[in-house]
Amino acid sequence: MNRFKSIIAGLSEIVGPSGVLTESTDLVAYSYDGTSNWHATPDVVVLPTTTEQVAAVMQLAYDQEIPVTVRGAGTNLSGGSIPVEGGIVLCMTRMDRILDIDAANFTATVEVGVVLNKFNQALARQNLFFPPDPQSFLAATIGGCAAENSGGPYAVKYGIFKHYLLGMQIVLPGGRILNLGGKTVKNVTGYDLTLLLCGSEGTLAVITSVTLRLLPRPETRQTILAIFDEVTTAGGAVHRIRQSGLIPAKIEMIDNWIIRRIEEMSPLGLPRAAEAILLFELDGNSAAVENESREVIRLCREADAVDVRPAKDAEEAENFWAARRAGFSAIWGNSPTVLAEDVTVPTDRMAELISTIQTISRRHDVPVVMIGHAGDGNLHPCILTDKKNAEHFHRAEQVASEIFSTALALGGVISGEHGIGLEKKKFLKLAMEPGAIELLKSIKQVFDPKGLLNPGKIWEAGP
Amino acid sequence: MNPIGAIDPARCMKCGFCMSVCPVYIHDRVETHVARGRNMLIKMVAENRLPRDNAYRASLTYCLLCRRCESVCPAGLLPAEITIHARHDVVKKSRPSLLRRLVHRAMVGNRAVIAQLIGMASVLPGVSVKNGKPMRHLAEAASILSGNLSLPSGALRSFARPIPRHARPAAGVAVKGRIAIFPGCVFEFFMAEIARDMITALARAGFEVYFPQGLSCCGHAVYSDGEFKTARLMAERNIRVLSNFDRVVTGCATCGSALKGYAGWFEKNDPMHGLAADLARRSVDFTQLLHAADFKPPEPAGIGRSVTYHDPCHMRWHQGISESPRRLLQSISGISYREMEGADACCGLGGAFGLTHRQIGLRLLDEKMTAIRRSGAQTVVTACPGCLLHLKAGARRHHLPVQVLHISRLMAGPNP
Repeated sequence: MNRFKSIIAGLSEIVGPSGVLTESTDLVAYSYDGTSNWHATPDVVVLPTTTEQVAAVMQLAYDQEIPVTVRGAGTNLSGGSIPVEGGIVLCMTRMDRILDIDAANFTATVEVGVVLNKFNQALARQNLFFPPDPQSFLAATIGGCAAENSGGPYAVKYGIFKHYLLGMQIVLPGGRILNLGGKTVKNVTGYDLTLLLCGSEGTLAVITSVTLRLLPRPETRQTILAIFDEVTTAGGAVHRIRQSGLIPAKIEMIDNWIIRRIEEMSPLGLPRAAEAILLFELDGNSAAVENESREVIRLCREADAVDVRPAKDAEEAENFWAARRAGFSAIWGNSPTVLAEDVTVPTDRMAELISTIQTISRRHDVPVVMIGHAGDGNLHPCILTDKKNAEHFHRAEQVASEIFSTALALGGVISGEHGIGLEKKKFLKLAMEPGAIELLKSIKQVFDPKGLLNPGKIWEAGP
Repeated sequence: MNPIGAIDPARCMKCGFCMSVCPVYIHDRVETHVARGRNMLIKMVAENRLPRDNAYRASLTYCLLCRRCESVCPAGLLPAEITIHARHDVVKKSRPSLLRRLVHRAMVGNRAVIAQLIGMASVLPGVSVKNGKPMRHLAEAASILSGNLSLPSGALRSFARPIPRHARPAAGVAVKGRIAIFPGCVFEFFMAEIARDMITALARAGFEVYFPQGLSCCGHAVYSDGEFKTARLMAERNIRVLSNFDRVVTGCATCGSALKGYAGWFEKNDPMHGLAADLARRSVDFTQLLHAADFKPPEPAGIGRSVTYHDPCHMRWHQGISESPRRLLQSISGISYREMEGADACCGLGGAFGLTHRQIGLRLLDEKMTAIRRSGAQTVVTACPGCLLHLKAGARRHHLPVQVLHISRLMAGPNP
């Protein structure tokens, strides 16, 4: 029996034959993520159902020196779950049990394959709420969110994944099972290994379950839409509202290109000339939400909004947010290749970031569409290009590079929520001091001395 | 019919939202078996980066064609249609068996003969025309017989009582219109009592009902298999036979989906395309028509009074119908309507899917039975012959004492 066959037999023994996929079609189905330009096929896909199985797979991989790339739903936008060195894709989607919802202590323990939306549906039945909301929540797994330290529109008020992570169970390369952290909000016990794993992009250990902090579900919500004829005026409105001491749950922005696409696809009656739209969500008890809504409307008007529309009811609010979500599909529908960037700056530099990106886009004659989390300074400039057109794609990469430099010059970062993965690893040196990158590599060495876990990610090979 | 680009798998943005609703994926969690994975495979085959090998062909069978994923696809793709076109691409490149071609062709015009043959064959022990590759529709009925799902007793007796070709409202009732019913293979040959119930209810609602001669199989299953040539012959025949009626009423969810979707079966420059679009405008589901006509169902007799409704995929996702059957059931005096959890979840049959992928089909069926049990309903109502058979098989499998009925049974009143 050759080596490959004996490895497959070994894996089948651990997870059962139905948990091992080797057909050419299966390998293709695990060769991509949510980005449009990264592909690499694994040699085998393994779908474990228990931590013990994960440990046995990791031990086998360690003994045989096979690369292992951990994957959840594969909705990430960084190339982070692409098995660039082949080997095993360890897909966690079958570990999908909610182990415990402790309403008395506002915590829950879940296996990593639980889908974020399913988790929140289960919590809603007990009037609980888990805020981090990457917009892939319909499909994204909790494990992917932990490994990517995900966030979304709720970051303005509620923060991101790491703010809710209390503990986890992991499997180290080699197969050792460890429990980290605990289930209390306060916990200062040695280095915070839980936080170290959060956002580690699957490069240090396999996370098999997490313990999360929960919040009571807000009693009511109000959505407000504000229209501006200048991006900078919209930026000014966000600044004014932030300075007033109000903390909306979400402040989202869409630009003119997206407004026009929305009006073409499913008209909401938005003025096509509007340069920017801000969408606010306020939540809490009804009296507070009512007061805050009035205040947001007043401040938007003071900041020269062309029009301010509070959603009449839940249905209209849902229409506004559906339009926001439709923005992304409009982008993908209109371009063969999209470089969806993820730069983040201090919130008061957002308007400056946007106008500089507009200049860069014009100079290189490459369209850049902007959707952003205006409330937390996280912008998604989407560069519309075509990988098959080498000359255009080259200009698009130039645009991306200049966007990163701009964000860094404004005191920001190159990734707010997508992670580095493959897509941004060549820019890491711009964003992190050499000494800090050295530390990353040393930490990796401690966890994964053979370099088998999700190889080829975050930093470039070589010194 | 299809928006431009909606059947281009390259437009998939790989968001994975289909994974949140796909009944197959939710059960096996294998990405090869969900729209996102299949879109990628189909795209790569089209670009000659993957062969049309057995693994690829097999991956094309892992779709129920329920079309639920369309409801969440931000790119507005039609993944079921993409899969069907990929099956067609495979069919074009391989010759189907002679038997299959003969049966399909015969089903265009000589359905009654085939139905009788199946009926006769089905009573012989051990006879299977399925052979791993089930023929569809009429033929599917045969597969069902050999696939551990039995037709209700008396199914074959319905040959003895023909479906009336014409029925009028009672004297003195104002005639609301002249309509044709399209019963489809199962309700014409194996469950003719359902076609008769439909006619009774429609006449009572004030319609003059015709059951036209010369109809073909709706062709849905043939089209779904990628056999476009035969499917188009079937569609063409039906479009012509039905051309003179103001309204065409279907009681079978699958036939309804087919009649409303024929336009998509023909190229835009084909003259049939326009005629098909016209038929789509005239086609209406039995429950839609009765609900719109403000029909008051009669007092039921001989059925359990707590009733629940199962949404067939071909009604809910193909035709977007969920309100009218519920409103009709709720309007029956003496009935207590109970919504089951996940009423719009697939029953697991999906045509031949439930037979070729029996394990997945059974898991979906088991969940459906749990939901029915929890609802406490005594009577389960639905609107699709496939669902009807599968739910009955499920009730036997789970020893669940429920009656499973087509909605026309509750609209027609006590058996004459």
